[in-house]
Amino acid sequence: MFQNFRLSMAWLHTWFGLALGFVLMVVFFFGALSVFDREIDRWAIPSSRVEPQPMPSFDRVLRPVFEAMQPNRKSVDAMRSEVNGPMPERFDTPRRWGAYTTHRDPVLGLFAGFEVPNAKDPETAIWASRTIDPRTGASLPEDRLKIGSQFFYPLHYSLTFTWKDLGYWIVGLAALVMLAALVSGVVMHRKIFRELFTFRPGKSRQRSLLDLHNLTGVVALPFHFFFAFTGLVIFASIYFPVTHTQLEPLHELHEKLDSEETGLPHERAGIAAPIASVDAMVAEAQRRWAARGMAGEVGFLAVQFPKDANGYVSVYRAGTDRIALTGEGIHFKASTGELLREEPPSSAVDSLNEFLTGLHLQHFRHWLLRWLYVLGGLAGCACIATGFLFFVEKRKKQHARAGSQGSRIVDALGVTTVTGMMIAALGILIANRLLPDVLPAGWPERGDLERYAFWGTWVLAMAHAFWRSAPVAQGQVNPAWHEQCRGIVVLAVTAVLLNWLTTGDHLVKTLAEPYWPVAGVDLFLLASAGIAALAARKIRRKAKETAHARPGKPTEAAHA
Amino acid sequence: MPVIHTEIQEVSHPNRRIVALRVLAGLAGGYAFTWGFVALGVAALFAAGMEFHDAEHLCYIVGLLIFLVAFLWAFAARSLARVWAVLAGGGLLMAGAASLMQSLLLP
Repeated sequence: MFQNFRLSMAWLHTWFGLALGFVLMVVFFFGALSVFDREIDRWAIPSSRVEPQPMPSFDRVLRPVFEAMQPNRKSVDAMRSEVNGPMPERFDTPRRWGAYTTHRDPVLGLFAGFEVPNAKDPETAIWASRTIDPRTGASLPEDRLKIGSQFFYPLHYSLTFTWKDLGYWIVGLAALVMLAALVSGVVMHRKIFRELFTFRPGKSRQRSLLDLHNLTGVVALPFHFFFAFTGLVIFASIYFPVTHTQLEPLHELHEKLDSEETGLPHERAGIAAPIASVDAMVAEAQRRWAARGMAGEVGFLAVQFPKDANGYVSVYRAGTDRIALTGEGIHFKASTGELLREEPPSSAVDSLNEFLTGLHLQHFRHWLLRWLYVLGGLAGCACIATGFLFFVEKRKKQHARAGSQGSRIVDALGVTTVTGMMIAALGILIANRLLPDVLPAGWPERGDLERYAFWGTWVLAMAHAFWRSAPVAQGQVNPAWHEQCRGIVVLAVTAVLLNWLTTGDHLVKTLAEPYWPVAGVDLFLLASAGIAALAARKIRRKAKETAHARPGKPTEAAHA
Repeated sequence: MPVIHTEIQEVSHPNRRIVALRVLAGLAGGYAFTWGFVALGVAALFAAGMEFHDAEHLCYIVGLLIFLVAFLWAFAARSLARVWAVLAGGGLLMAGAASLMQSLLLP
């Protein structure tokens, strides 16, 4: 279909980049924000604005909470179709309890899974979750959406389209296309080294855009490649469920052999048994980690088959001191506290896998690296956005002459995904601050309302982008670009002001304390407002220049 | 690079059916080939004594890189028929071999 290798790569880069670039923009932007997901959570849930806490005592704090936990009505209703006959009033047989925390969490997330009587598939479990204050064990209101970790983060890897995992597949395809775009981009531009130092803002708009596209792509090339690739590795078992379909029998065989080897029971015994002191088991695990020279904070604590003779407790380390996503899990018999298994050091393959996934998921404690991740993610956004703009700039004059609407549509979609996306992100933050503490009866759930605000603002921004797009068909600039930049300025400043008004936490206070999670989000919002203001001015000036220029005047950019 | 620019213009609207077949070859063919590779890799490495999940992880890591190469090759290769034969045929063969190997490993 193509005359040579480079042309085939150019075709691939242009058209796949265009088709999936919109998704990639979302993935990169919300990925960059997710680096500080816990901090955004603090901003969105003022009652949780305290210092991070270690894993609390299981015996005194966690156990009573786990024993009281029950799935909420929503998950019970969702489970109805998977059960023969009516659903029980209470779920009495817990299958697994778990508590997970990181070095940035002041609140603790708990989950409990229960067996479902009369389930069509006996493996079915129903889940309950709760967030508590680890200092007291008091539950936080369930209706508070953790905007960072429960909304921006899932947007990053699944677009929150949960139906048949569709979102994961779209993001996975986008990641593959990102890898292909990086390889084909390098093939298209052989003078890679020179592009590292080339940016000519004074040249034509098209030339500067291409320079910036190449610069942001090449400078952060290892970052982009690594993150797209490890993202695929993390969800590889969703994309290629080989061992749960074709090789399921082999997997079963392994599970059986493994359970014999590790001594960890595969099933419930059906005989009731008490739970010994889990705090003592945690202390023993920490002693064993210390003996191996490792910091001993607990990151993940789980009880499998609670109150059954086969029950066991698993204690995993919070890997804040290394990149690899390791747990050094230690397992104890729940009824006696007897050591069942200490996981051996990772094999070579395991270490590689833990390094790849760990570097992506960054559970380690390293603030500078965290900020570099944000910059890398934003460089990715800049690379994709300039890619769209270059696509439009290159074609819009030609399209204007031919009467085609192609570049007009791409440009409007570009506005939607660049400035529109930021407006949507600000929309959810503002909704979060404006919704009353107690919602009137009959309203949808608070978290749902916040999500509607996000998607609603985005749809409005899209409508605005298309409504204002007519000038593009004449080879001019869409005024929606600078109008939405101004919108970002207003909304970002509004969000900071609303945070002050509704919580009393203004920047002078949060910087003096200092309380970085909230101060950081506020500063980031103000910085975004500043950049958007500059961009609005610049775009407007350029737009006026092009409007005065004779239409159809040939520019040197046509040779790019 | 004015020369390349005009070349891109000429080929940027190739025959739609051919484009669809290339895209399908890259995505579906690449997927089938990768699936076959992962299946055969896991079965073979497990048979050779590697821990099951180690085999799985290793095959995913290598398999995803193979998917990328297969995807790029589907557009770069001269013969579309060869692309389909290698990707779909190879994927099928490897998946078949994996199932055969599994049946030999099971007690």
